Amino acid sequence: MQLPEGFLLGLSTGAVCMAYCGPVLIPYLLGEGHTVRRNVGHVILFLAGRFAGYVVIGLIAGLAGQLLIRPSATKTVIIAVIYVILAALLIAYGFYRFREICLGQVQEKVKKLYFGRWPALVPMAGGVITGLNICPPFLLAIAKAVDAGNAATSIRLFIMFFLGTSLFFIPFPFVGFFRRQQVLRAIGKFAAILVGLFYIYRGIFMLIH
Amino acid sequence: MEKSVTYSTAGSVGKSLLLALPMFLLIFIFISGGKPDFSSTGNLIAFVITFLFFSYLFFMILYTGKTDRYRATGFIALALFFALVFIVNMIKARGSMTFSQENFLACDIPFCHIVTTMILIPIVFTKSIIFPGNIIEGFASISTMLVIVIGVSLALGRGFCSWGCFYGGWDEGTSRILHKPMIKKVNPMFRWMPFAVLLLVALTAAITLVPTYCDWLCPFKTVTEYEQVTSTSSLMKAIVFASLFAGLVLLLPLLTKKRIQCATFCPFGALSSLTNKINVFDVRIDREKCNDCKKCITVCPTLSINEKEIENGHSSMTCTKCGKCIDACAHQAIHFHIKGTPPDKRLTLARTLFLFPSFLLLVIFTGGTMEYGITLIIKLITTGSLIK
Repeated sequence: MQLPEGFLLGLSTGAVCMAYCGPVLIPYLLGEGHTVRRNVGHVILFLAGRFAGYVVIGLIAGLAGQLLIRPSATKTVIIAVIYVILAALLIAYGFYRFREICLGQVQEKVKKLYFGRWPALVPMAGGVITGLNICPPFLLAIAKAVDAGNAATSIRLFIMFFLGTSLFFIPFPFVGFFRRQQVLRAIGKFAAILVGLFYIYRGIFMLIH
Repeated sequence: MEKSVTYSTAGSVGKSLLLALPMFLLIFIFISGGKPDFSSTGNLIAFVITFLFFSYLFFMILYTGKTDRYRATGFIALALFFALVFIVNMIKARGSMTFSQENFLACDIPFCHIVTTMILIPIVFTKSIIFPGNIIEGFASISTMLVIVIGVSLALGRGFCSWGCFYGGWDEGTSRILHKPMIKKVNPMFRWMPFAVLLLVALTAAITLVPTYCDWLCPFKTVTEYEQVTSTSSLMKAIVFASLFAGLVLLLPLLTKKRIQCATFCPFGALSSLTNKINVFDVRIDREKCNDCKKCITVCPTLSINEKEIENGHSSMTCTKCGKCIDACAHQAIHFHIKGTPPDKRLTLARTLFLFPSFLLLVIFTGGTMEYGITLIIKLITTGSLIK
Protein backbone atom coordinates (compact mmCIF):
# COMPACT_ATOMS: atom_id res chain seq x y z
CA MET A 1 0.00 0.00 0.00
CA GLN A 2 1.39 3.43 -0.96
CA LEU A 3 1.84 5.94 1.87
CA PRO A 4 -0.54 8.57 0.43
CA GLU A 5 -3.15 5.81 0.41
CA GLY A 6 -2.72 5.55 4.18
CA PHE A 7 -3.56 9.24 4.41
CA LEU A 8 -6.53 8.84 2.09
CA LEU A 9 -7.77 5.84 4.08
CA GLY A 10 -7.63 7.98 7.23
CA LEU A 11 -9.42 10.80 5.46
CA SER A 12 -12.19 8.57 4.17
CA THR A 13 -12.82 6.83 7.47
CA GLY A 14 -11.91 9.57 9.95
CA ALA A 15 -15.52 10.38 10.69
CA VAL A 16 -15.86 6.94 12.25
CA CYS A 17 -12.73 7.55 14.37
CA MET A 18 -14.20 10.85 15.44
CA ALA A 19 -17.43 9.09 16.41
CA TYR A 20 -15.55 6.45 18.42
CA CYS A 21 -13.32 8.98 20.18
CA GLY A 22 -16.03 11.60 20.64
CA PRO A 23 -17.77 9.90 23.59
CA VAL A 24 -14.43 9.99 25.45
CA LEU A 25 -13.13 13.40 24.36
CA ILE A 26 -16.32 15.49 24.34
CA PRO A 27 -17.25 14.79 28.00
CA TYR A 28 -13.70 15.70 29.01
CA LEU A 29 -13.67 18.99 27.07
CA LEU A 30 -17.15 19.91 28.29
CA GLY A 31 -16.22 19.00 31.85
CA GLU A 32 -13.09 21.11 31.87
CA GLY A 33 -14.84 24.24 30.62
CA HIS A 34 -11.71 25.80 29.15
CA THR A 35 -11.27 28.28 26.31
CA VAL A 36 -11.01 27.22 22.67
CA ARG A 37 -7.28 27.95 22.74
CA ARG A 38 -6.69 25.78 25.78
CA ASN A 39 -8.87 23.05 24.32
CA VAL A 40 -6.54 22.96 21.32
CA GLY A 41 -3.84 21.93 23.79
CA HIS A 42 -6.09 19.26 25.29
CA VAL A 43 -6.94 17.87 21.86
CA ILE A 44 -3.24 17.84 20.93
CA LEU A 45 -2.51 15.87 24.10
CA PHE A 46 -5.31 13.48 23.23
CA LEU A 47 -3.98 13.08 19.70
CA ALA A 48 -0.49 12.55 21.08
CA GLY A 49 -1.82 9.73 23.17
CA ARG A 50 -3.67 8.38 20.17
CA PHE A 51 -0.51 8.62 18.12
CA ALA A 52 1.35 6.57 20.71
CA GLY A 53 -1.39 3.98 20.55
CA TYR A 54 -1.22 3.89 16.77
CA VAL A 55 2.57 3.48 16.80
CA VAL A 56 2.27 0.56 19.18
CA ILE A 57 -0.35 -1.07 16.98
CA GLY A 58 1.72 -0.26 13.92
CA LEU A 59 4.73 -2.02 15.43
CA ILE A 60 2.74 -5.07 16.40
CA ALA A 61 1.05 -5.17 13.00
CA GLY A 62 4.39 -5.11 11.29
CA LEU A 63 6.05 -7.67 13.53
CA ALA A 64 3.22 -10.09 14.22
CA GLY A 65 0.21 -8.62 12.41
CA GLN A 66 -1.78 -11.83 12.22
CA LEU A 67 -2.12 -11.63 15.99
CA LEU A 68 -4.26 -8.52 15.64
CA ILE A 69 -6.48 -9.78 12.88
CA ARG A 70 -7.28 -13.31 14.01
CA PRO A 71 -9.68 -13.62 16.95
CA SER A 72 -7.84 -14.87 20.01
CA ALA A 73 -8.38 -15.09 23.74
CA THR A 74 -5.18 -13.12 24.41
CA LYS A 75 -6.28 -10.23 22.24
CA THR A 76 -9.70 -10.20 23.89
CA VAL A 77 -8.21 -10.14 27.39
CA ILE A 78 -5.83 -7.30 26.49
CA ILE A 79 -8.62 -5.20 24.99
CA ALA A 80 -10.89 -5.94 27.96
CA VAL A 81 -8.24 -4.80 30.43
CA ILE A 82 -7.70 -1.65 28.36
CA TYR A 83 -11.44 -0.94 28.52
CA VAL A 84 -11.53 -1.36 32.30
CA ILE A 85 -8.55 1.00 32.74
CA LEU A 86 -10.20 3.59 30.50
CA ALA A 87 -13.43 3.18 32.43
CA ALA A 88 -11.74 3.73 35.78
CA LEU A 89 -10.00 6.82 34.43
CA LEU A 90 -13.21 8.30 33.04
CA ILE A 91 -15.23 7.61 36.19
CA ALA A 92 -12.51 9.06 38.41
CA TYR A 93 -12.37 12.12 36.18
CA GLY A 94 -16.15 12.42 36.28
CA PHE A 95 -16.05 12.76 40.06
CA TYR A 96 -12.99 15.02 40.06
CA ARG A 97 -13.97 18.57 41.03
CA PHE A 98 -17.65 17.65 40.70
CA ARG A 99 -18.48 19.36 43.96
CA GLU A 100 -16.92 22.53 42.59
CA ILE A 101 -19.43 22.53 39.75
CA CYS A 102 -22.36 21.55 41.96
CA LEU A 103 -21.82 23.67 45.01
CA GLY A 104 -19.03 26.09 44.10
CA GLN A 105 -16.86 24.39 46.69
CA VAL A 106 -13.11 24.15 46.43
CA GLN A 107 -11.88 20.80 45.15
CA GLU A 108 -11.07 18.23 47.75
CA LYS A 109 -7.44 17.52 48.46
CA VAL A 110 -7.70 13.80 47.88
CA LYS A 111 -8.94 14.15 44.36
CA LYS A 112 -6.32 16.82 43.69
CA LEU A 113 -3.67 14.17 44.19
CA TYR A 114 -3.54 12.76 40.69
CA PHE A 115 -5.42 15.03 38.35
CA GLY A 116 -4.02 18.18 39.93
CA ARG A 117 -0.40 17.06 39.68
CA TRP A 118 -0.70 15.56 36.23
CA PRO A 119 -3.33 17.57 34.35
CA ALA A 120 -2.35 15.92 31.08
CA LEU A 121 -3.25 12.49 32.47
CA VAL A 122 -6.83 12.30 31.27
CA PRO A 123 -6.48 13.52 27.68
CA MET A 124 -3.27 11.60 27.01
CA ALA A 125 -4.37 8.38 28.61
CA GLY A 126 -7.76 8.72 26.95
CA GLY A 127 -5.98 9.16 23.64
CA VAL A 128 -3.71 6.13 24.17
CA ILE A 129 -6.57 3.90 25.11
CA THR A 130 -8.87 5.00 22.31
CA GLY A 131 -5.89 4.67 19.99
CA LEU A 132 -5.54 1.05 21.05
CA ASN A 133 -9.26 0.52 20.52
CA ILE A 134 -9.39 -1.23 17.17
CA CYS A 135 -12.30 0.39 15.35
CA PRO A 136 -13.31 -0.79 11.82
CA PRO A 137 -11.19 1.70 9.80
CA PHE A 138 -8.27 0.90 12.03
CA LEU A 139 -8.77 -2.80 11.40
CA LEU A 140 -8.66 -2.12 7.68
CA ALA A 141 -5.44 -0.17 8.12
CA ILE A 142 -4.00 -3.05 10.17
CA ALA A 143 -4.87 -5.54 7.45
CA LYS A 144 -3.13 -3.36 4.89
CA ALA A 145 -0.16 -2.90 7.21
CA VAL A 146 0.24 -6.64 7.63
CA ASP A 147 0.61 -6.85 3.86
CA ALA A 148 3.39 -4.26 4.09
CA GLY A 149 5.63 -6.95 5.51
CA ASN A 150 7.96 -4.86 7.73
CA ALA A 151 7.72 -2.73 10.87
CA ALA A 152 9.09 0.51 9.39
CA THR A 153 6.57 0.59 6.54
CA SER A 154 3.78 -0.30 8.94
CA ILE A 155 4.67 2.58 11.25
CA ARG A 156 4.89 5.05 8.37
CA LEU A 157 1.53 3.83 7.09
CA PHE A 158 -0.06 4.29 10.49
CA ILE A 159 1.41 7.79 10.80
CA MET A 160 -0.21 8.77 7.50
CA PHE A 161 -3.46 7.08 8.55
CA PHE A 162 -3.29 8.98 11.85
CA LEU A 163 -2.78 12.32 10.07
CA GLY A 164 -5.74 11.63 7.81
CA THR A 165 -8.06 10.86 10.73
CA SER A 166 -6.76 13.72 12.90
CA LEU A 167 -8.20 16.34 10.57
CA PHE A 168 -11.63 15.32 11.88
CA PHE A 169 -10.65 16.40 15.38
CA ILE A 170 -10.36 20.05 14.36
CA PRO A 171 -13.95 20.92 15.47
CA PHE A 172 -13.52 19.52 18.99
CA PRO A 173 -11.73 22.53 20.59
CA PHE A 174 -14.66 24.78 19.66
CA VAL A 175 -16.58 23.21 22.52
CA GLY A 176 -14.75 25.96 24.41
CA PHE A 177 -17.24 28.52 23.10
CA PHE A 178 -19.68 27.09 25.64
CA ARG A 179 -17.23 27.22 28.53
CA ARG A 180 -19.22 29.75 30.55
CA GLN A 181 -22.09 27.36 30.86
CA GLN A 182 -21.63 25.63 34.21
CA VAL A 183 -24.41 23.30 33.15
CA LEU A 184 -22.38 21.99 30.22
CA ARG A 185 -19.51 21.21 32.56
CA ALA A 186 -21.86 19.15 34.69
CA ILE A 187 -23.18 17.38 31.58
CA GLY A 188 -19.60 16.62 30.55
CA LYS A 189 -18.85 15.12 33.96
CA PHE A 190 -21.99 13.01 33.92
CA ALA A 191 -21.20 11.85 30.40
CA ALA A 192 -17.67 10.84 31.45
CA ILE A 193 -19.08 8.71 34.27
CA LEU A 194 -21.66 7.09 31.98
CA VAL A 195 -19.06 6.33 29.30
CA GLY A 196 -16.87 4.88 32.04
CA LEU A 197 -19.69 2.61 33.19
CA PHE A 198 -20.21 1.48 29.61
CA TYR A 199 -16.53 0.60 29.19
CA ILE A 200 -16.45 -1.20 32.53
CA TYR A 201 -19.41 -3.30 31.47
CA ARG A 202 -17.86 -3.99 28.08
CA GLY A 203 -14.49 -4.94 29.57
CA ILE A 204 -15.96 -7.21 32.21
CA PHE A 205 -18.33 -8.81 29.70
CA MET A 206 -15.43 -9.56 27.38
CA LEU A 207 -13.41 -11.07 30.24
CA ILE A 208 -16.30 -13.26 31.38
CA HIS A 209 -17.45 -14.25 27.94
CA MET B 1 -61.91 21.40 49.73
CA GLU B 2 -58.94 23.72 49.23
CA LYS B 3 -59.51 26.09 46.32
CA SER B 4 -57.36 28.70 44.66
CA VAL B 5 -58.85 32.21 44.66
CA THR B 6 -56.77 33.48 41.79
CA TYR B 7 -58.65 31.93 38.89
CA SER B 8 -62.10 33.21 37.93
CA THR B 9 -63.62 29.74 37.58
CA ALA B 10 -62.37 28.55 40.99
CA GLY B 11 -65.23 28.12 43.44
CA SER B 12 -67.92 28.69 40.81
CA VAL B 13 -69.80 25.57 39.67
CA GLY B 14 -71.56 27.41 36.84
CA LYS B 15 -68.46 29.03 35.36
CA SER B 16 -66.46 25.82 35.70
CA LEU B 17 -69.16 23.75 33.98
CA LEU B 18 -69.53 26.26 31.19
CA LEU B 19 -65.82 26.35 30.50
CA ALA B 20 -65.58 22.57 30.78
CA LEU B 21 -68.39 21.88 28.28
CA PRO B 22 -66.20 22.03 25.16
CA MET B 23 -63.80 19.62 26.82
CA PHE B 24 -66.66 17.23 27.66
CA LEU B 25 -67.55 17.14 23.98
CA LEU B 26 -63.93 16.58 22.98
CA ILE B 27 -63.61 13.79 25.54
CA PHE B 28 -66.70 12.12 24.06
CA ILE B 29 -65.34 12.40 20.53
CA PHE B 30 -61.84 11.20 21.28
CA ILE B 31 -62.88 8.26 23.43
CA SER B 32 -65.53 7.05 21.03
CA GLY B 33 -63.71 8.01 17.82
CA GLY B 34 -66.95 9.64 16.72
CA LYS B 35 -68.73 6.26 16.67
CA PRO B 36 -69.52 5.09 20.19
CA ASP B 37 -69.74 1.32 20.47
CA PHE B 38 -72.41 0.26 22.92
CA SER B 39 -72.85 -3.19 21.41
CA SER B 40 -72.22 -4.85 24.73
CA THR B 41 -72.81 -3.98 28.37
CA GLY B 42 -69.06 -4.16 29.00
CA ASN B 43 -68.33 -1.60 26.27
CA LEU B 44 -71.03 0.70 27.59
CA ILE B 45 -69.75 0.51 31.15
CA ALA B 46 -66.17 1.10 30.00
CA PHE B 47 -67.18 4.10 27.93
CA VAL B 48 -69.25 5.67 30.69
CA ILE B 49 -66.55 5.18 33.32
CA THR B 50 -63.87 6.65 31.07
CA PHE B 51 -66.01 9.59 30.02
CA LEU B 52 -67.06 10.43 33.57
CA PHE B 53 -63.51 9.97 34.85
CA PHE B 54 -61.97 12.52 32.50
CA SER B 55 -64.90 14.90 32.67
CA TYR B 56 -64.68 14.88 36.46
CA LEU B 57 -60.93 15.50 36.41
CA PHE B 58 -61.20 18.49 34.09
CA PHE B 59 -64.14 19.97 35.92
CA MET B 60 -62.27 19.71 39.21
CA ILE B 61 -59.15 21.31 37.73
CA LEU B 62 -61.27 24.31 36.85
CA TYR B 63 -63.48 24.32 39.96
CA THR B 64 -60.71 23.96 42.54
CA GLY B 65 -58.09 25.94 40.65
CA LYS B 66 -55.68 23.10 41.45
CA THR B 67 -53.98 21.22 38.61
CA ASP B 68 -51.50 18.65 39.80
CA ARG B 69 -53.49 16.10 41.80
CA TYR B 70 -56.13 15.73 39.07
CA ARG B 71 -53.57 15.69 36.27
CA ALA B 72 -51.55 13.07 38.15
CA THR B 73 -54.62 10.86 38.57
CA GLY B 74 -55.16 10.77 34.82
CA PHE B 75 -51.44 10.46 34.16
CA ILE B 76 -51.02 7.46 36.45
CA ALA B 77 -54.11 5.87 34.88
CA LEU B 78 -52.43 6.31 31.48
CA ALA B 79 -49.30 4.46 32.59
CA LEU B 80 -51.18 1.58 34.20
CA PHE B 81 -53.74 1.04 31.45
CA PHE B 82 -51.14 1.45 28.73
CA ALA B 83 -49.02 -1.30 30.27
CA LEU B 84 -52.05 -3.56 30.71
CA VAL B 85 -53.29 -3.11 27.15
CA PHE B 86 -49.81 -3.34 25.62
CA ILE B 87 -48.94 -6.54 27.44
CA VAL B 88 -52.29 -8.17 26.62
CA ASN B 89 -51.90 -7.21 22.94
CA MET B 90 -48.38 -8.63 22.82
CA ILE B 91 -49.52 -11.88 24.38
CA LYS B 92 -52.41 -12.12 21.92
CA ALA B 93 -50.19 -11.36 18.93
CA ARG B 94 -47.01 -13.21 19.89
CA GLY B 95 -47.87 -15.41 22.83
CA SER B 96 -45.57 -13.54 25.24
CA MET B 97 -44.09 -10.15 26.14
CA THR B 98 -40.91 -10.97 24.25
CA PHE B 99 -39.98 -10.32 20.66
CA SER B 100 -37.76 -12.49 18.52
CA GLN B 101 -35.42 -11.97 15.58
CA GLU B 102 -38.36 -12.73 13.28
CA ASN B 103 -40.29 -9.78 14.73
CA PHE B 104 -37.20 -7.62 14.20
CA LEU B 105 -36.82 -8.63 10.60
CA ALA B 106 -40.54 -8.16 9.97
CA CYS B 107 -40.26 -4.56 11.32
CA ASP B 108 -42.91 -5.46 13.84
CA ILE B 109 -41.66 -3.43 16.81
CA PRO B 110 -43.87 -0.51 17.96
CA PHE B 111 -42.14 2.88 17.90
CA CYS B 112 -42.10 5.02 21.00
CA HIS B 113 -41.17 8.68 21.44
CA ILE B 114 -37.86 7.95 23.21
CA VAL B 115 -36.48 6.42 19.99
CA THR B 116 -36.65 9.90 18.44
CA THR B 117 -33.44 10.83 20.28
CA MET B 118 -31.50 8.11 18.48
CA ILE B 119 -32.77 8.28 14.92
CA LEU B 120 -32.16 11.96 14.18
CA ILE B 121 -28.40 11.83 13.41
CA PRO B 122 -28.57 8.61 11.35
CA ILE B 123 -31.52 10.02 9.35
CA VAL B 124 -29.41 13.04 8.40
CA PHE B 125 -26.25 11.13 7.49
CA THR B 126 -27.52 7.80 6.22
CA LYS B 127 -31.10 8.66 5.21
CA SER B 128 -32.31 5.58 7.02
CA ILE B 129 -34.35 4.95 10.15
CA ILE B 130 -32.43 2.72 12.52
CA PHE B 131 -35.47 1.15 14.14
CA PRO B 132 -37.21 -2.11 13.18
CA GLY B 133 -40.68 -0.62 13.05
CA ASN B 134 -43.36 -0.07 10.47
CA ILE B 135 -43.15 3.33 8.81
CA ILE B 136 -46.81 3.85 8.02
CA GLU B 137 -49.06 0.98 9.06
CA GLY B 138 -49.88 -0.83 12.24
CA PHE B 139 -49.77 -0.04 15.92
CA ALA B 140 -47.47 2.89 16.81
CA SER B 141 -46.03 3.32 13.34
CA ILE B 142 -42.93 5.48 12.98
CA SER B 143 -44.55 8.24 10.96
CA THR B 144 -47.54 8.56 13.31
CA MET B 145 -45.41 8.77 16.40
CA LEU B 146 -42.98 11.27 14.86
CA VAL B 147 -45.84 13.57 13.85
CA ILE B 148 -47.28 13.35 17.36
CA VAL B 149 -43.91 14.00 18.99
CA ILE B 150 -43.13 17.00 16.81
CA GLY B 151 -46.61 18.46 17.18
CA VAL B 152 -46.77 18.05 20.93
CA SER B 153 -43.25 19.35 21.46
CA LEU B 154 -44.08 22.50 19.54
CA ALA B 155 -47.39 22.94 21.37
CA LEU B 156 -46.42 22.08 24.92
CA GLY B 157 -42.62 21.81 25.05
CA ARG B 158 -41.67 19.47 27.84
CA GLY B 159 -45.28 19.44 28.96
CA PHE B 160 -45.43 16.12 27.10
CA CYS B 161 -43.58 14.58 30.05
CA SER B 162 -46.40 15.37 32.47
CA TRP B 163 -49.43 15.20 30.22
CA GLY B 164 -48.76 12.63 27.50
CA CYS B 165 -45.90 10.26 28.25
CA PHE B 166 -47.28 6.77 28.77
CA TYR B 167 -44.29 5.85 30.97
CA GLY B 168 -44.04 8.87 33.24
CA GLY B 169 -47.06 7.86 35.26
CA TRP B 170 -45.05 5.03 36.80
CA ASP B 171 -42.60 7.13 38.71
CA GLU B 172 -45.28 9.78 39.18
CA GLY B 173 -47.30 7.14 41.01
CA THR B 174 -44.49 5.68 43.11
CA SER B 175 -43.33 9.17 44.09
CA ARG B 176 -46.71 9.81 45.70
CA ILE B 177 -46.96 6.69 47.85
CA LEU B 178 -45.15 7.94 50.95
CA HIS B 179 -46.34 10.99 52.80
CA LYS B 180 -42.81 12.28 53.43
CA PRO B 181 -39.55 11.55 51.61
CA MET B 182 -37.05 9.27 53.28
CA ILE B 183 -34.23 10.82 51.25
CA LYS B 184 -34.82 14.54 51.61
CA LYS B 185 -31.94 16.00 49.62
CA VAL B 186 -31.45 15.29 45.93
CA ASN B 187 -28.65 17.27 44.30
CA PRO B 188 -30.37 19.56 41.74
CA MET B 189 -27.44 19.12 39.34
CA PHE B 190 -28.77 15.65 38.57
CA ARG B 191 -31.42 17.30 36.43
CA TRP B 192 -28.70 17.74 33.79
CA MET B 193 -27.83 14.05 33.67
CA PRO B 194 -30.50 13.29 31.04
CA PHE B 195 -28.57 15.58 28.70
CA ALA B 196 -25.46 13.44 29.18
CA VAL B 197 -27.57 10.34 28.48
CA LEU B 198 -28.99 12.06 25.40
CA LEU B 199 -25.51 12.97 24.16
CA LEU B 200 -24.25 9.44 24.60
CA VAL B 201 -27.22 7.53 23.17
CA ALA B 202 -27.36 9.89 20.19
CA LEU B 203 -23.63 9.42 19.52
CA THR B 204 -23.56 5.67 20.10
CA ALA B 205 -26.69 5.16 18.00
CA ALA B 206 -25.03 7.15 15.21
CA ILE B 207 -21.86 5.04 15.46
CA THR B 208 -23.45 1.62 15.75
CA LEU B 209 -26.70 2.33 13.83
CA VAL B 210 -28.54 0.60 16.67
CA PRO B 211 -30.97 2.42 19.00
CA THR B 212 -28.70 1.89 22.00
CA TYR B 213 -31.09 3.21 24.66
CA CYS B 214 -33.81 0.82 23.51
CA ASP B 215 -31.34 -2.01 23.19
CA TRP B 216 -29.70 -1.62 26.59
CA LEU B 217 -31.14 0.97 28.91
CA CYS B 218 -34.87 1.51 28.62
CA PRO B 219 -36.37 0.57 32.00
CA PHE B 220 -39.88 0.46 30.57
CA LYS B 221 -39.19 -2.70 28.66
CA THR B 222 -40.13 -4.32 31.96
CA VAL B 223 -43.75 -3.27 31.43
CA THR B 224 -44.01 -3.47 27.64
CA GLU B 225 -41.88 -5.84 25.59
CA TYR B 226 -38.29 -7.03 25.50
CA GLU B 227 -35.90 -9.24 23.57
CA GLN B 228 -36.15 -12.98 24.12
CA VAL B 229 -33.42 -14.12 26.50
CA THR B 230 -31.50 -16.55 24.36
CA SER B 231 -27.87 -15.54 25.04
CA THR B 232 -25.58 -14.02 27.66
CA SER B 233 -25.91 -10.66 25.95
CA SER B 234 -29.72 -10.67 26.02
CA LEU B 235 -29.62 -11.86 29.63
CA MET B 236 -27.32 -8.94 30.54
CA LYS B 237 -29.70 -6.55 28.80
CA ALA B 238 -32.64 -7.96 30.76
CA ILE B 239 -30.77 -7.56 34.04
CA VAL B 240 -29.83 -3.97 33.16
CA PHE B 241 -33.30 -2.76 32.22
CA ALA B 242 -35.04 -4.59 35.05
CA SER B 243 -32.56 -3.13 37.55
CA LEU B 244 -33.06 0.35 36.14
CA PHE B 245 -36.83 -0.05 36.43
CA ALA B 246 -36.55 -1.26 40.01
CA GLY B 247 -34.16 1.52 40.93
CA LEU B 248 -35.15 4.57 38.91
CA VAL B 249 -38.88 3.98 38.56
CA LEU B 250 -39.88 2.20 41.76
CA LEU B 251 -37.39 2.55 44.61
CA LEU B 252 -35.82 5.99 44.24
CA PRO B 253 -39.08 7.83 43.44
CA LEU B 254 -40.61 6.13 46.48
CA LEU B 255 -37.78 7.26 48.76
CA THR B 256 -37.28 10.77 47.38
CA LYS B 257 -40.81 11.67 46.24
CA LYS B 258 -39.24 12.86 42.97
CA ARG B 259 -39.75 11.50 39.48
CA ILE B 260 -36.20 10.17 39.34
CA GLN B 261 -36.36 8.38 35.96
CA CYS B 262 -37.87 11.42 34.27
CA ALA B 263 -35.75 13.99 36.08
CA THR B 264 -32.34 12.29 35.95
CA PHE B 265 -32.26 9.74 33.14
CA CYS B 266 -34.73 10.00 30.29
CA PRO B 267 -33.03 11.27 27.11
CA PHE B 268 -36.34 12.23 25.53
CA GLY B 269 -36.95 14.51 28.50
CA ALA B 270 -33.66 16.23 27.72
CA LEU B 271 -34.58 16.60 24.04
CA SER B 272 -38.00 18.02 24.82
CA SER B 273 -36.46 20.38 27.40
CA LEU B 274 -34.82 22.06 24.43
CA THR B 275 -38.28 22.64 22.93
CA ASN B 276 -39.26 24.40 26.17
CA LYS B 277 -37.09 27.25 24.94
CA ILE B 278 -39.31 27.85 21.90
CA ASN B 279 -42.61 26.78 23.39
CA VAL B 280 -45.17 29.51 24.03
CA PHE B 281 -46.08 28.36 27.56
CA ASP B 282 -43.90 28.60 30.64
CA VAL B 283 -44.20 28.77 34.43
CA ARG B 284 -43.56 32.19 36.01
CA ILE B 285 -42.81 33.20 39.56
CA ASP B 286 -44.04 36.57 40.79
CA ARG B 287 -41.15 37.90 42.88
CA GLU B 288 -43.36 40.44 44.62
CA LYS B 289 -45.72 37.79 45.98
CA CYS B 290 -43.01 35.19 46.65
CA ASN B 291 -41.86 35.05 50.29
CA ASP B 292 -38.94 32.64 49.63
CA CYS B 293 -40.47 29.80 51.61
CA LYS B 294 -38.98 27.42 48.97
CA LYS B 295 -41.94 25.07 49.12
CA CYS B 296 -41.87 25.00 45.31
CA ILE B 297 -38.29 23.71 45.38
CA THR B 298 -39.28 20.96 47.81
CA VAL B 299 -42.31 19.76 45.86
CA CYS B 300 -40.98 20.00 42.28
CA PRO B 301 -40.76 16.38 41.09
CA THR B 302 -38.22 17.06 38.33
CA LEU B 303 -35.76 19.32 40.21
CA SER B 304 -36.74 22.18 37.90
CA ILE B 305 -36.82 24.97 40.47
CA ASN B 306 -34.03 26.18 42.71
CA GLU B 307 -33.05 29.50 44.30
CA LYS B 308 -31.61 30.79 41.06
CA GLU B 309 -34.82 30.10 39.15
CA ILE B 310 -36.88 31.81 41.87
CA GLU B 311 -34.65 34.85 41.56
CA ASN B 312 -35.02 34.82 37.77
CA GLY B 313 -38.78 34.54 38.05
CA HIS B 314 -39.36 31.35 36.05
CA SER B 315 -38.80 27.60 36.24
CA SER B 316 -35.89 25.86 34.52
CA MET B 317 -35.97 24.60 30.94
CA THR B 318 -36.44 21.11 32.40
CA CYS B 319 -39.89 22.05 33.77
CA THR B 320 -42.59 19.58 32.74
CA LYS B 321 -45.46 21.97 33.53
CA CYS B 322 -47.12 19.55 35.93
CA GLY B 323 -48.54 22.37 38.07
CA LYS B 324 -47.31 20.99 41.39
CA CYS B 325 -45.38 24.12 42.38
CA ILE B 326 -48.33 26.29 41.38
CA ASP B 327 -50.67 24.32 43.64
CA ALA B 328 -48.16 24.24 46.50
CA CYS B 329 -47.46 27.97 46.61
CA ALA B 330 -49.36 29.42 49.55
CA HIS B 331 -49.02 32.96 48.21
CA GLN B 332 -50.15 32.05 44.67
CA ALA B 333 -46.98 33.52 43.27
CA ILE B 334 -46.50 30.88 40.55
CA HIS B 335 -48.64 30.50 37.44
CA PHE B 336 -48.81 29.14 33.93
CA HIS B 337 -47.90 31.94 31.57
CA ILE B 338 -47.92 32.74 27.86
CA LYS B 339 -44.62 34.20 26.71
CA GLY B 340 -44.85 37.76 25.56
CA THR B 341 -47.75 38.65 27.88
CA PRO B 342 -47.55 40.42 31.26
CA PRO B 343 -46.82 37.80 33.92
CA ASP B 344 -49.38 39.06 36.44
CA LYS B 345 -52.32 39.70 34.09
CA ARG B 346 -54.99 37.36 32.71
CA LEU B 347 -53.91 34.44 34.82
CA THR B 348 -57.12 32.48 34.20
CA LEU B 349 -56.82 32.92 30.44
CA ALA B 350 -53.18 31.78 30.37
CA ARG B 351 -54.00 28.76 32.53
CA THR B 352 -57.05 27.83 30.45
CA LEU B 353 -55.18 28.19 27.18
CA PHE B 354 -52.53 25.81 28.53
CA LEU B 355 -54.95 23.36 30.12
CA PHE B 356 -57.08 22.73 27.07
CA PRO B 357 -54.36 21.34 24.76
CA SER B 358 -52.51 19.58 27.55
CA PHE B 359 -55.58 17.89 29.05
CA LEU B 360 -56.73 17.00 25.56
CA LEU B 361 -53.38 15.31 24.97
CA LEU B 362 -53.93 13.29 28.15
CA VAL B 363 -57.39 12.30 26.95
CA ILE B 364 -56.16 11.31 23.49
CA PHE B 365 -53.43 9.09 24.88
CA THR B 366 -55.40 7.65 27.77
CA GLY B 367 -59.02 7.60 26.66
CA GLY B 368 -59.10 4.72 24.20
CA THR B 369 -56.49 2.80 26.17
CA MET B 370 -58.41 3.16 29.41
CA GLU B 371 -61.70 2.22 27.80
CA TYR B 372 -60.20 -0.91 26.30
CA GLY B 373 -58.40 -1.65 29.57
CA ILE B 374 -61.67 -1.50 31.50
CA THR B 375 -63.32 -3.92 29.02
CA LEU B 376 -60.38 -6.28 29.61
CA ILE B 377 -60.85 -6.03 33.37
CA ILE B 378 -64.57 -6.69 32.97
CA LYS B 379 -63.70 -9.67 30.79
CA LEU B 380 -61.29 -10.90 33.48
CA ILE B 381 -63.99 -10.62 36.14
CA THR B 382 -66.67 -12.31 34.04
CA THR B 383 -64.64 -14.98 32.23
CA GLY B 384 -61.53 -15.36 34.36
CA SER B 385 -59.21 -14.51 31.45
CA LEU B 386 -57.77 -11.37 29.88
CA ILE B 387 -56.76 -13.04 26.65
CA LYS B 388 -59.59 -15.31 25.46
